[in-house]
Amino acid sequence: MKRRLVIRDKWILILFALPGLLYFLLFKYVPLLGNIIAFQDYNIFKGILHSPWVGLAQFERMFGFDDFYRVLRNSILLGFYSLLFGFPAPIILALLLNESRKMWFKRVVQTVVYMPHFLSWVIVGSIFINLLAYEGIVNVFMTKLGMDKVDFVSDGNYFLAVLISTGIWKEVGWGTIIYLAALSGINPNLYEAAMVDGASRWRQIWSITLPCMMPTMVIVLLLSIGHILDANVEQVLIFLNPLVRDVGEVFDTYVYTFGLVGGQYSYTTAIALFKSGVGIVLVFGLNAVSRRTTGESLY
Amino acid sequence: MYRISGFQTFLAVILSTLSLIMLAPLVHVLSVSLSSPLYAQAKLVYFWPKGLQFAVYKKIFSMDEMWRAMGISIYITVIGTLITLVITSMIAFALSRTEMPGKKMIVRLIVLTFILPAPLIPGFLLVKELNMLDTLWSLMIPGATSAFYVIIMRSFFRNVSGELFDAAKIDGCNEAGIYFRLVIPLSSAVIATIGLFHAVFQWNTYFSALIFIRDKTLYPLQVLLQNLVAKKGLNNFMGEVQFELNMPVTPEMMSAGIIIFATVPILIVYPFLQRYFVKGAMLGSLKE
Repeated sequence: MKRRLVIRDKWILILFALPGLLYFLLFKYVPLLGNIIAFQDYNIFKGILHSPWVGLAQFERMFGFDDFYRVLRNSILLGFYSLLFGFPAPIILALLLNESRKMWFKRVVQTVVYMPHFLSWVIVGSIFINLLAYEGIVNVFMTKLGMDKVDFVSDGNYFLAVLISTGIWKEVGWGTIIYLAALSGINPNLYEAAMVDGASRWRQIWSITLPCMMPTMVIVLLLSIGHILDANVEQVLIFLNPLVRDVGEVFDTYVYTFGLVGGQYSYTTAIALFKSGVGIVLVFGLNAVSRRTTGESLY
Repeated sequence: MYRISGFQTFLAVILSTLSLIMLAPLVHVLSVSLSSPLYAQAKLVYFWPKGLQFAVYKKIFSMDEMWRAMGISIYITVIGTLITLVITSMIAFALSRTEMPGKKMIVRLIVLTFILPAPLIPGFLLVKELNMLDTLWSLMIPGATSAFYVIIMRSFFRNVSGELFDAAKIDGCNEAGIYFRLVIPLSSAVIATIGLFHAVFQWNTYFSALIFIRDKTLYPLQVLLQNLVAKKGLNNFMGEVQFELNMPVTPEMMSAGIIIFATVPILIVYPFLQRYFVKGAMLGSLKE
C-alpha cells in the first residue's frame, strides 16, 4: 500500500514537471542542436534533413569576409567600453546610496533610479533619439552654452557614446541592487571597531565596504566579460541607422539583418556560433583564473 | 561633526542630480506633448508645458491601431504571465520535492541553459516549424520560462515547511494536493515576484515580435511605437491630423505623445512592482 502510494506520487511529480521539461528541451536544447545548420548550406524549402552538408565552408567564408572583421571590431569596442563604464557605474552608485544616512531620501532616490529598467528599449530609444536629435533639446542647450550643434543620432563618432550612456541611464539603478544586497550583509561591528581605531570615512570604505563587495564584483565582472560580445540587440537595433551602420553593426544585429531578414541562415548561424564559442571559452577560462587568484568562482 | 554633515550635503546633491537626470527626459517629452505647437516648434519647451493643450492625445486616442496594439500587449501580458506562472510553478514544485526522480540531473541541465545561449536562427526555424509564426503564441511560448525563474521559485518552495507536508501526507494528501492546497497558497510572495517580472518582460516584448510577427494587425505596442516614432512612419499620420482635425500638431509632439501613451501603463504598475522586485532580484543574486 505504502509503496504504491510512493510510486503514484512519483508519477504525479513527473506529470507536474512535464510541461516545463518539454519547454526546456524544445526551446533551449533543440535550437542548440539546430546549430548544425552552420555546417550546411541550409535551404528553407529543403529543411535540415535535405540541405547539403558543406563542412567548414561557412566558417571559411566568414573569415575571408571583410564584413566579419568590421562586425568583430565593433562588437569588441562596444563590449569593451560598455564594461569599462558600465561595470563601475552601479558600484559607485551603490556606495553613494550606502553612505546616505537619511532613509527616506535614500528610498526616494532608489525608486527613481530603478524606474528606467522597466521601460522598454523602444521607449528609452525613442526618448533619447528625440532628445539628442539635431533639433533636440540637448542641442538647444548646447547652443545656448555657445557650443556647436552635434548630430548625435547619425554621426558615427558619437554612436558608441550614445549607446553606452543610454545603457547606463537605463540599468545603473537596477545594477545597484545586487551590490546593496551584499552591503546589507556587512556586520556593523566592523565599522564601529574601525571608528574606535580612528579610521576615516574613506578608510572605512576602502578597508571594509569594498572588500565585502569584492565577491559580488568578481562574479558580475566574470559574467560581463563572458558576455562581452553580446550586445543588447534591441538597444542597438533602435539606435542603428544607415549613417552609423559602419561603426554600429555588431554580431547580434548582423545575424538579424543578414540572417533573418536577408535569409543567410547558415552563414549567420556560423557567425553566431563563433560568437557563443568565444563567450563560453571566456567564461570558463576566466572562471578558472579567478578561482585560482581570488578564490571566487561561478560554480 | 561638521565634516560629516558636509559630506551628507555633498551626497544629497549628487544623488538628487542623478535622480533629476533619470526623470528629466520623461518630463521633457511629456511637456512637449502637452504644449502648443508654436512653442514646441520654436524649441521653447523644456520641463514644463507651454500653451497647455491636449490635441496630441485626442489624436492618439482616436487612432484605432493604437488601441488594437495596446489590446494585444495587454493580451500577451495577461495570458503570457499566466502560462509562465503555471509552467514555472509546476516544474519548480516537482524539483523541490525529494520524491522527484532524476532531480539533480534536471536542475543541472536547466542551470546549464544560463550559460549556453539559444541561438537566434535555429530558434526562429523552430518556431516556424511549430507553425507559430504570425500567431501571438510566438510571443508567449518561446520565452515562457527561464532557468532564473525556476531556480528562484524552487528555492522558495523548498523553504516552505516540510513538516507541514509530512502531516498532510499522513492525512492522505497526495503530491497534487500538496501543490494546490499548501505550496501555492503559501507562496504568494514569490508568485507575485515572478509574475510581475514576467509581466514587464511581456509588456516590453519587441525583438521577438519583430522576428515572429509580420501581420500588422498583430503588432504589440512596442513594435507600433518603433514603427511610428523611429522609422518616421509618423508622416503618414501627420497628413491626416492636419486634414481631419484641423489641429496643427508637429510630428515631434506626436511622437512625444505616443511615447507617453506607451510609458504610462508601466508607470501605473511601477509602485506595485517596486514592492516585489527588489526581493526577487536579491533572491536571484544570492542563489547564484
